[in-house]
Amino acid sequence: MSENRWLATGNFFTSYRAEQRIFLTNFDRLLFTCFLVLLFVWPLVFEVSNKYMLVIDSILIAIVAVYGLNLLTGFAGLISIGHAAFVGVGAYTLATFARILGGDHVLLTHFWPLMIMLAGGVGAVIGAIVGLPSLRLKHLYLVIATLSFQMIFQWIINFSKFFNQGQTIAVGRVFWFTGKVGRSEHYFFWYYVILVIVIILGFGVRNLLRTKHGRCLVAVRDNDRAADAMGMHPGFTKVYAFALAGFFAGVAGALHAYLWRGVGFESFLLHHSITYLAMAIVGGLGTLVGSFLGPAAILMLELQVENLAEFVGHYFTALGDVATAFRPLSFGLVIVLFLMFEPRGIANWWRIVRSYFKLWPFRY
Amino acid sequence: MRNRRITFMLVVLSFLLILGFSVQAVAGETYKMGLSLAITGPTSDAGDPYSKGVEDYIKYVNDEKLLGDDKVECFIRDDGYKTEVTKRNFEDFLDENIVFYLNYSTGSTLALKPDFEEEKIPVLPASFHAGNLVDSKYIFLPIASYSSQAVGLAEYVANNYKGNGKAKVAMFIHPSAFGRASYDDVKKAIDAGLNIELVEIVEHGKDLDNTAMLKRLKSKGVQYVISHTVQPPVATLLKSAQSLDMIASTYGEEGKITFMGAHYAGGPGLIALAGSAAENYYWVTSYKLMSAKGPGTDAQHALAKRYGRDDKLANDSNYTNGIMVAQVAVEAMRRAKARGNKVTRASLYEEMVSMNGYNAYYPLTTVGPVTYSKTDREGVDTLQLYVAKDGVFHELGLPFSPEYVKKIK
Repeated sequence: MSENRWLATGNFFTSYRAEQRIFLTNFDRLLFTCFLVLLFVWPLVFEVSNKYMLVIDSILIAIVAVYGLNLLTGFAGLISIGHAAFVGVGAYTLATFARILGGDHVLLTHFWPLMIMLAGGVGAVIGAIVGLPSLRLKHLYLVIATLSFQMIFQWIINFSKFFNQGQTIAVGRVFWFTGKVGRSEHYFFWYYVILVIVIILGFGVRNLLRTKHGRCLVAVRDNDRAADAMGMHPGFTKVYAFALAGFFAGVAGALHAYLWRGVGFESFLLHHSITYLAMAIVGGLGTLVGSFLGPAAILMLELQVENLAEFVGHYFTALGDVATAFRPLSFGLVIVLFLMFEPRGIANWWRIVRSYFKLWPFRY
Repeated sequence: MRNRRITFMLVVLSFLLILGFSVQAVAGETYKMGLSLAITGPTSDAGDPYSKGVEDYIKYVNDEKLLGDDKVECFIRDDGYKTEVTKRNFEDFLDENIVFYLNYSTGSTLALKPDFEEEKIPVLPASFHAGNLVDSKYIFLPIASYSSQAVGLAEYVANNYKGNGKAKVAMFIHPSAFGRASYDDVKKAIDAGLNIELVEIVEHGKDLDNTAMLKRLKSKGVQYVISHTVQPPVATLLKSAQSLDMIASTYGEEGKITFMGAHYAGGPGLIALAGSAAENYYWVTSYKLMSAKGPGTDAQHALAKRYGRDDKLANDSNYTNGIMVAQVAVEAMRRAKARGNKVTRASLYEEMVSMNGYNAYYPLTTVGPVTYSKTDREGVDTLQLYVAKDGVFHELGLPFSPEYVKKIK
């Protein structure tokens, strides 16, 4: 490593530890700190409507969910199209408490950090169970197994009286040190909570990837037989990848329940699973940055397509039905275009932008 | 000379400025409302005409100055039948300081119920689900609930059954909270003594043919099918039944099935979709039909014509539906103004709950008056049965209130 920690260039690592640093230079760390400060400060400076705060909060929740999917699909190479069901498991963990104890029970309103962790735990357990077929199945067959889980989840929620047959189960307002979080500060409060969770879990993922457990995921993805020969346990790694994905999804589900103040079946359908997968692909599979960029890109696109459909429907009333097709059309088109022309996702654009600022001699 | 011209111009400008301010001062207020509904996507066959009904009536109110110098502005947004989008739209409307909200789907009405209560805003949804009223003060159903409609049809079957034992009935419902809204109450009515046998409840999918399902119902001896869904699946059901020669040509014909439906499962739109298969279809609603002559029909046709709508829309029962909810909201505003109150959410709520007795509202679009109170927030309590003959729905008997609805409440 270069002596100058502010303007380090080239590959000067003298130890594995140095190579595994989260921030290669102090300048990187400073930039990241400034970015975090910006994320915390901007809502205090700019006035944003509740509508857009809701969108931003939803993007942050999707980031938490995509962390898990990226670990599973991007890093471990196990494609899942049942991720929304995992998110649903987290949300319905809270809903279960709400049904038994009531939506305004102190456990849900005062001990919400605990409930979020618990939802993550339940997600992890269910994830590990759903991951069991990965001990024998690969590729398309495993995809079908995750699809089955999605269908089973939908069926159980839709027909179970306990889960209100998919109708919304209300979750009460939470309490903070200042008292009950009221309607006026609801979205801001959850913005900060989710942001903190995104940062903590982001560092968690980054650190995981620096450990042998993280490298196991990549090794099993690239060649599970070789990984086996190297002393890793491919089966265990796959199940644990599913458990990790389930944990992140469970946390996202609990956050969803608190943000929307209720749990309804409609938010965890197959179409949402495909959306999460699209977020991971568009963001960049196997990259941490992709987990941030994908959800932001897809949800903003969705919002803009909605606006476009409304505009078309309003001014060209005869095309109202055509407008309905805009969303799936744009959605499918974006995925296909990214797979064809930019399979490494938006994260690759970020890599290119960063490369403009590299100094000679370059790091690789 | 130049100074005089400048002075003159300044005087004119000042005059115009004062005039501008004074015009603004005497110009009325604008009351804002919001409507989020499915103009595209699932159930848009009902949502699209519904939105046009609201839009046209609000235009009419402003054009005809029904609120004097005051105006009503109604934001209409498409949510594609997605609760998440409805919530986003509602938040957007709140930022616009709406005083009245028109919602659409059952799912989103139930999901947003806590928000309505917190915001203390009167809400008229297009969903007639009785469950909307549970734990709520601010949701008002425009007409009798789905439960009342389904129980009303079941009661009609029981009262007019000529065979031995009990009439065998199946329910054909939408696979959602909306569809399931009614069958629990039909079961309760049966438990309370309603003389029918509920053989099967079918949650339909997106089938293009219902032959297998109809044959199954037939093999179970089903004689009556009560539908509670939207028009397209009912049209598919009727076409399948027609191809199997299963449709009763007279009510309760032996060996055939008599098809019936609640509000959204019928109407002129169904005839347009199902054609001759809709003949002898029995339909119940609290709305008046445009095929019957009367002042309500004339007014609706005139409204549609005035705003360049085609005949299909002018006769659509969901267009009527949209007009009616807008009428109720505007009427609440008019009454609040007439009392000298400021038009706010609180004053509109008070006007809504006092809309009963001598204060009941007769909007011409319904078969009975709109009545609300703090304990009864179902608007029009009476139902009208219609039957499709020669491509048109005709009234069958007089408006009625189902007996068993009172028994199971």
